[in-house]
Amino acid sequence: MIDFLAAAIRIATPLIFAALGGILSERAGVFAVGLEGMMLMGAFSAVIGAWASSSAAVGLLLAVLGGGAIGLIVAIVTVRYRADNMVTGLTANILALGLTTYLLHILAGTAAIQVDPLGPWPIPGLSRIPVAGPLLFSHPPLTYLAVLGCAGLSVLLFRTQTGLLLRATGENPEAVFVAGADPQRLRMIAVISCGAIAGLGGAVLSLQQVGTFTDGMTGGRGYLALASLIVGRWHPWGAAAACLVFGAAEALEFRLQGFGIPVSSYVVQMMPYLIAIAVLAGLGRSTKLPAFIGKPL
Amino acid sequence: MSETAGAPRLAFRLRRDGLFPRILVAIGLSMLCAAVLVALAGHNPLTAFRAMLAGALGSPYQIGTVLNRTCPYLLAGAGLALCFRAGVINMGSDGQIAMGGIGTAATVLAWPGPPTVITAIAALIAAILCGGLWAAVATAIHLGRRVHEVLVTLLLNFVALLFVQLVLSGPLGQPGAGFLQSPAMPRAVWLWRVPHFYFHIGILIGVFASLALSFLLWKTPWGFAIRVTGRSRAAAAYAGFSTAAVTWGVMLTAGGLAGLGGGVEILGLHHRLIEGFSTGFGFKAVTVALLGALEPAAVIPAALFVGLLETGALAMQRQIGVPSALVVVIEGITMLFILTATVRRA
Repeated sequence: MIDFLAAAIRIATPLIFAALGGILSERAGVFAVGLEGMMLMGAFSAVIGAWASSSAAVGLLLAVLGGGAIGLIVAIVTVRYRADNMVTGLTANILALGLTTYLLHILAGTAAIQVDPLGPWPIPGLSRIPVAGPLLFSHPPLTYLAVLGCAGLSVLLFRTQTGLLLRATGENPEAVFVAGADPQRLRMIAVISCGAIAGLGGAVLSLQQVGTFTDGMTGGRGYLALASLIVGRWHPWGAAAACLVFGAAEALEFRLQGFGIPVSSYVVQMMPYLIAIAVLAGLGRSTKLPAFIGKPL
Repeated sequence: MSETAGAPRLAFRLRRDGLFPRILVAIGLSMLCAAVLVALAGHNPLTAFRAMLAGALGSPYQIGTVLNRTCPYLLAGAGLALCFRAGVINMGSDGQIAMGGIGTAATVLAWPGPPTVITAIAALIAAILCGGLWAAVATAIHLGRRVHEVLVTLLLNFVALLFVQLVLSGPLGQPGAGFLQSPAMPRAVWLWRVPHFYFHIGILIGVFASLALSFLLWKTPWGFAIRVTGRSRAAAAYAGFSTAAVTWGVMLTAGGLAGLGGGVEILGLHHRLIEGFSTGFGFKAVTVALLGALEPAAVIPAALFVGLLETGALAMQRQIGVPSALVVVIEGITMLFILTATVRRA
C-alpha cells in the first residue's frame, strides 16, 4: 500500500508542476494547451544541462530557461499577436517535439545520454516516522519543491496585490488597466512563468526520475495536467489533488499486475485519460472559467 | 470547461481573402530558420535542401511515396479546415484516424467468404463510421457537458491509441509476431496502385473529398452556416443557425474523413493494422489545415508540401546525416509565423 501511494506521488509530481504553471497562465487569461511542449523542452534542457556540466543545478536552471523559452514564444504569439490560444499551444508542442528530437540527435548522435538521477533527500528525523516517513519525507528534492510551489502560488494568487491583478487580468482586464497596471504585460509574464514552472515539471520526469531524455517522453502528461487544473478549479491545492488522483490511476497498473488481476495493461493505461474525461464531464456546466480567458486584449 | 461566449475563435474572414502571399512568406521564413539549424549542426544548408528535393522528387517511386504520405494528412486536414472555419477546434484527428484503421482491419479480418473489392469498399465505409463515431463521442461530451472540445479530443486521442494496442494484443492481433500488428491482409483488398509510381488511389479520394468540401463550404447554405458560426456565434444564432447542429455536422464530417484516412493508410500502404500507425498524423492535419488557410481546396497543395518535406527529410537523414526531425521544426515555425500573420487586428 505504501508502495502504491509512493508511486502515485512520484507520478503526480511532474503533473503538479505543470498544473501550477497552467494555473498562472489561465488565471491571467491564456489557455495553457502548450504545457506539453513546455514540459518536453524542460525535460530536454535539464538532461542536456546536467550532462554537459555534470551539475544537476545547471540542469534545473536550463529546464527553467528552456520551458520559459517556449512560454515566451506562446506569450508573443497569443498576447502580442492575438492569435488563437488553442492552436498556438498545439503549435508550441509540435515545435518543442521537433526541436528536442533534432537537437538530441545533433548533440548525442546515437549514443544515449545518461546522467545520475536526483537521489532522495530524506528529511532528518521526520523520515524515521513509521509509514508517514517513507511515504512523505523521503522524496527527491523536486517533490518537496512541488509542495512548496502549491503553497507559494496559493499565497501569491489569493493573498497579494500582484495575485489580485493577475486574476483580474483573466476576469476583467479593463479594471486592471483602470487600476494603473498593464494587463498585456501581466499576461506575458504569467505565460512565461508558466513555461518556466512547467519546464521544472519536465525536469522531474527526465532528471529526477530516469536520468535520461527520450524523444517525446512527456507522452501526453501536459494534457493531463491541463485537465487536472480544470478539475481543481484553478486552485493550486485542488489541482494537486487531481494530479494525485491521475497519478494513482497510473500507479494501479503495477499493482494490478502484481496481484495477478486479469485486466489488460492497455485498459489500465487508459484509466488516467478516461478518469480525466469522466471528471470533466461530471463537473460539466458547473465549471466556471476566468471570464476573459482566450480573448485577446 | 464552459463555453467562452463571443470569444474570437480562429480569426479568418468570412470571404476568401489574400492570405496566400503571407503563407508563402511564412514558409520562406521558416526555411531560413531551418537553414540556420542545419548550419549549426555543421552541415551546408544548400546541400541539405538539395538532398531533400532529390529524395522527394528524384524518381517516379519517390514521387509515389510523397503522394502516399500526403494522403492521410489531406483527408484529415480538409475536414479540419471545415471544423476550424466553424470555430470548432477539433484536435482529435489522431484518434479518429486510429479508429478508422481499426474499423478497416476488423472488417477485412472478420469478412465471411473470400475477400473481394466489395470487402475493400465495406472496410473503407467501416473506417468512415468508426472515425465518425469517435468524433461523435467527443462532440456529445463537448456539447452535452460543456467540456471544451480541445480537451476532450486531445484526451480521447490517447484512449484511441491505446485501444489500437488493446485490439492488437487481442482479437485483431497476429499471435507470435513479436510486434503488435494484425495478420497481413489478402491482396484482393489492397487499394489499386498506379504502375511505375506505386502510389495508391487514396490520393485521388483525398483530392476529390477536398474539392467537394470546398464546394460545400462556399456554395451551399450549410457552408454559409459554418462560416457565419465561426465568425460570430451571436450572428449565427440571430440568423437561425444552430451552433450545436453546425458543430455536429463539421465534427462528424471531419471524423469520418479522418477515419477514411486511417482506412486508406491500412489498405493502401501497410496492408495490416500496426501499433502507432497514426501517431502524430492528427497534428500534421492541423498543420496542413492552417497552411491551406482553412480552405479545403488549398489543403491539397499544403498536404503535398508537408508530404514532400517529410519524404525528402528521410532521404536527407540517410545521405548526409541531418536528423529528419528538422521537418517537424519547419512545420512548427511555419505555423507560428502563419498564426502571427493571419490574425485579425482589433
